[in-house]
Amino acid sequence: MRWKKFALFLSVIGPGIITANIDNDAAGITTYSVAGARYGYALIWTLIPTTVALVVIQEMVARMGVVTGKGLSDLIRENYGVKVTVYMMLGLFLANFGTTVAEFAGWAASWEIFGVSKYIMVPLGVLAVWLLVTRGSYVSLERILLMACVVYLGYVVSGFMAKPDWSEVIRQTVVPQAKLDPQFMMLGVAIIGTTITPWMQFYLQSSLAEKGVRKEHYNLTKIDVVVGSLFTDIIAFFIIVACAATLFPAGIRIGEAHEAAVALRPFAGGYATVLFGLSLANASLLGAIIVPLATSYYICEGMGWERGVNKTFREAPQFMWIYTAMLAMSAVIVLVPRAPLVFLMVLSSVVNGLLLPFVLIFALRLVNDPRIMGEHTNPRVYNYITWGTILAIIVLAVVAVVSTVAPLG
Amino acid sequence: MPLFGELFLSEIVRKPVLDPKGEEVGVLRDVSVVKGETFPKISSIIVEKRKKTFAVPWNKINIFNKRVMSINVYSGSLVPYELSEEDLLVRRDILDKQIVDANGAKVVRVNDVKLEGLNNDALLVAVDVGMRGILRRMGFERRGEDLLRLLRIRLGQNLISWNYIQPLQSKLSEIALNIPGEMVSELHPADLADLISQVSHEEGAQFIEGLDIETAADAIAELEPDTQKAMFTDMDVARAADIIEEMDPDTAADVIGSLPTETARAILAEVEREEAQDIQELLNHESDTAGGIMTNDFLAYPPDITVEECLKRYRVDAEEIDSEAAYYMYVIDAEDRILGATSLRDVLLAEPGKVLAEIMETNVKTVTPEADEMTTAVTIAKYNLIAIPVVDSESYLLGIVTLDDVVDRMVPSRAKRKLRSI
Repeated sequence: MRWKKFALFLSVIGPGIITANIDNDAAGITTYSVAGARYGYALIWTLIPTTVALVVIQEMVARMGVVTGKGLSDLIRENYGVKVTVYMMLGLFLANFGTTVAEFAGWAASWEIFGVSKYIMVPLGVLAVWLLVTRGSYVSLERILLMACVVYLGYVVSGFMAKPDWSEVIRQTVVPQAKLDPQFMMLGVAIIGTTITPWMQFYLQSSLAEKGVRKEHYNLTKIDVVVGSLFTDIIAFFIIVACAATLFPAGIRIGEAHEAAVALRPFAGGYATVLFGLSLANASLLGAIIVPLATSYYICEGMGWERGVNKTFREAPQFMWIYTAMLAMSAVIVLVPRAPLVFLMVLSSVVNGLLLPFVLIFALRLVNDPRIMGEHTNPRVYNYITWGTILAIIVLAVVAVVSTVAPLG
Repeated sequence: MPLFGELFLSEIVRKPVLDPKGEEVGVLRDVSVVKGETFPKISSIIVEKRKKTFAVPWNKINIFNKRVMSINVYSGSLVPYELSEEDLLVRRDILDKQIVDANGAKVVRVNDVKLEGLNNDALLVAVDVGMRGILRRMGFERRGEDLLRLLRIRLGQNLISWNYIQPLQSKLSEIALNIPGEMVSELHPADLADLISQVSHEEGAQFIEGLDIETAADAIAELEPDTQKAMFTDMDVARAADIIEEMDPDTAADVIGSLPTETARAILAEVEREEAQDIQELLNHESDTAGGIMTNDFLAYPPDITVEECLKRYRVDAEEIDSEAAYYMYVIDAEDRILGATSLRDVLLAEPGKVLAEIMETNVKTVTPEADEMTTAVTIAKYNLIAIPVVDSESYLLGIVTLDDVVDRMVPSRAKRKLRSI
């Protein structure tokens, strides 16, 4: 029967596409919206090198998961010892805690567009996440996540509804341009930083290891990873286009993704606002499901603590506490008036930025170790591209920090 | 007696090792262990100096404690030693790895390793899996303790005696003890499945290897389908068959059905007849694909043999094969990839001196193992074939579906009686 082949495809397909899509979380959508509103199409070209780096890095990590059957924190711990692992997990916790706050903030904001109070939606969101994770199985979780990925297509529709000048869009996509403007550079860094994040490397590798994809089926996984990465950046492209075609010419500056949704109404109509808002809610909730869960997993995996969503507080205290604390504290921070929301998110993105080069360097060293990977070590081109990305991230991060501390004008 | 009392590996790693003159030979990199009377014992220490490694046998060691390590060999007379995968190195192969605590029925990670002096040996007596071990490795066990005392938290030792340790790597099995294995076998299958699902599939398979057939079957039945599949993939076929026999037929069929055809077929061939028939009957429901109805009795030859040679081989090979499967001869490369096909008619009509590559048809119609029986039948009918090769995405020739097999499946009364021919 035909569905059997499809079932095989589905059974292998998933982790790559899901990871890549959750990548477009609240923070990602905010960055793209702000970039489009502030600079029009001028930053779109950065998506092309970002996509290349994303594909290469994700493929590398996916390969590690399939070949070793182990997660990234597992491999780091086994090969580099306790110290490195503890510091890395600490960084990952801080960064991802900030990310979770951002997800719930995005979730709250998207419902405020429709006039629903965050005091109703945030507790509801936490409850939904909690139920899905503790009551659902991995398979059902994956199905729901794959389904939710389809909602992202709302951004593509919004992009078309904004009626952009396509020839102009394409011209600016393929012709790179740079502005000596700190905010421009900051946004450039943010686009890379929000697309390639530390936690997704951990997530992708673990979910592949757990699925037990066989080396023979690795080609399907490769397709999964590449398609997922392309899809992510296509969505990003349409978000930027939607905001660039409408808000940029009108000179409307925004600082948040939900502002983009509201600001779109006069230009692209009420439907665009609804689509933008719902997609943001969906993206935020997806992130809120995965990020805290994933974080608790890797920390416990690396430290050797009992883990699993079906465990009790007694059986797996560290796992349950880390997970619950991340969820609960994020919700509280979003709900408490005048909480240092912005400070936390900036901190989170700084930690993420600092962490990413280390994660990539460790991943690169592991993937090139024949004791671990056998004949599946990296082709040389991959190493060049990854090193290039690491260098670019470091340079850009330094530039971003310097220009924030000492603005050029 | 070089070691009195006890010490932790983390207290001596990267500490200097001295020669009789008190000069530094290098730093301690690792210790190598072998099977002892009860606990594993240190056979030599690995010293590192300027990227070079040296192995110093245990009987050459004078003092071995956390303050001083000295050997009675001069640094000049040490011969460099290349570490091999065969060695059992505590730091490389045990530290930071996951192991099974048979007593607590848990997967834990080794944070530190405790060594103890007994007579003239140093034994590996326990592993530290607690917070203390982590703090010690980080280098602030003391400060951490002080801080926790302020917070009125007492940090207990969390050591597991080597008596209760079941390693998960095959190379460590020689220093593993029997007791933990027996303890593990007593655990509830669901607990075993839980242990297995927390480690990599390779380690899980290694763990299953250590269980008796009955326990293994119960544990595997509790696993998620993906993990089940992984457990069977590299298992010895005879053992896999024993485990399958031990399972309920429907569980067995689910497992068998999810395995790659080749593996499944190999395992089923070893399973007792009656049991195998039960399983096959259940499998029948999912067998309406080319992969389910194909046979792997077919004729295949390399491209470079002559027509004469081909006929000579045919006379031997075709004897064993049904007549409808013996009409075509497939031409395959060394890796079983299909290159072309020819028929008995074409071979008989060709000049005896030509090679098969010259007379074969290269545009061969094939089906994938996943193709449904209708697609397979339609393809056979469309190209007027007697049999069609089943080929995977990398053009490996997996088997052939013959015309009569397809007819059998299309005629309902007979199809019902036909079992999946694994």
